[in-house]
Amino acid sequence: MTNFAEQFPIVFQSLNIGFLQTLKLFAVTLLGAIPLGLIISFGSMSRFKPLSAVVRILVWIIRGTPLMLQLLIIFYFPGLVFGQQLWGGGENGRFIASAVAFIINYACYFSEIYRGGIQGVPHGQQEAGQVLGLSKGQIFFRITLLQMIKRIVPPMSNEIITLVKDTSLARIIALQEVIWAGQSFMKGSQGISGAIWPLFFTGVYYLIFSGLLTLLFGWIEKKLSYFKA
Amino acid sequence: MAILEVKNINKSFGRNHVLRGIDFTLEKGEVLSIIGSSGSGKTTLLRCLNSLEFADEGQIIVSGETIFDAAVNKRPSESELRLKRLHFGLVFQNFNLFPQYSVLDNVTLASRLLNKGTKEEIEQYALELIESVGLKDKVNSYPCELSGGQQQRVAIARALAMKPEILCFDEPTSALDPELTGEVLKVIKSLADKHMTMIVVTHEMAFAHDVSDRVIFMDGGVIAEQGTPRILENPSSDRLKSFLTSF
Repeated sequence: MTNFAEQFPIVFQSLNIGFLQTLKLFAVTLLGAIPLGLIISFGSMSRFKPLSAVVRILVWIIRGTPLMLQLLIIFYFPGLVFGQQLWGGGENGRFIASAVAFIINYACYFSEIYRGGIQGVPHGQQEAGQVLGLSKGQIFFRITLLQMIKRIVPPMSNEIITLVKDTSLARIIALQEVIWAGQSFMKGSQGISGAIWPLFFTGVYYLIFSGLLTLLFGWIEKKLSYFKA
Repeated sequence: MAILEVKNINKSFGRNHVLRGIDFTLEKGEVLSIIGSSGSGKTTLLRCLNSLEFADEGQIIVSGETIFDAAVNKRPSESELRLKRLHFGLVFQNFNLFPQYSVLDNVTLASRLLNKGTKEEIEQYALELIESVGLKDKVNSYPCELSGGQQQRVAIARALAMKPEILCFDEPTSALDPELTGEVLKVIKSLADKHMTMIVVTHEMAFAHDVSDRVIFMDGGVIAEQGTPRILENPSSDRLKSFLTSF
């Protein structure tokens, strides 16, 4: 098939299936990394020095090495060293390995953003709550939390938009996400071969999705703009 | 009986001995001004009264109840602490209003969270307080929409909402432009006229002279001189004399 009009429906369907996998990795990463990042940020702020030292070294290693390398290590290491397929085989195994690598990586980035957000709320806010007789929980949930969220929205939106595009790194372990789907038509798939436009066309998916996220974060920022923190 | 007795308060931060044996009493309805140069321990003393810091030595007794005794309970439990703090109110130098809440919510928040009455009662009382500090038309404004003087008046209403026995002010006008200090001092003076028991750390000598029943001059962590506001006219110690000439 050389006719674009004939190719398009086939390619479109394949790319949609691939992008669904992209979205799944994106969503699972966020669901895991948002809470794990909070735990890591508490660890790095701990007054128990050995804990905060260990956590900070972990964050340094994860932020200091390429995510692609981490993906490769997490995917291949268990099989090569222990001779065991920890992640299971097939697409499902590749997805789990990718999700683990992405969650750990993004949790470390998020933890630093949270740390900045928590430490950025002036200490006087906490003291004002204390002298009014409020408990630590009330002070955190009713006073500090929203101010912290307002502070972290811009850096978090940055990271989350980066994550949309970083999911393509899972291509390195052959996760069948949208780039993989686009590339398959170069080698040959479903009667189409030597076509490069499907790969280029994947960019449209990323653009539309990151555009929607930009709108969403802009809306959240606007919602929180009624106060200055 | 005195509403407040402070006995032999000592406090160090590391090697820095900030309070060196502070003793004083305060009667109900009195206004006490604490003056002195920066670093003399005034703010630390207020923070000890409000259990934001814990003295290394000494006792604090409110209406006959020992709320702090360094020899017994250096670190009370959080729930005990919260009750002790409610004897005092504190107005901060930097206001510390909650930016995400309106004026009304700033004043009602703690009462609502601590179940100090029905929603209507709490709001009614808050509105009275907001009116009494002259901000009736700002009830639904947010702190970022207010001037410093207005913010500080909200902070006063917020502290009063918890009905403290003793209201403390930590340099309430030091963060304000000179033209805004008057409106805040006026509110404090109106509270004095209603016989609110107050402790005011201040650099406003004229205010301390006009409003206080008693004045304490702190220097180097000790009370160097205390008495009626007359000591501001006729200081007996050299240290107070030289401090006053700097104004």
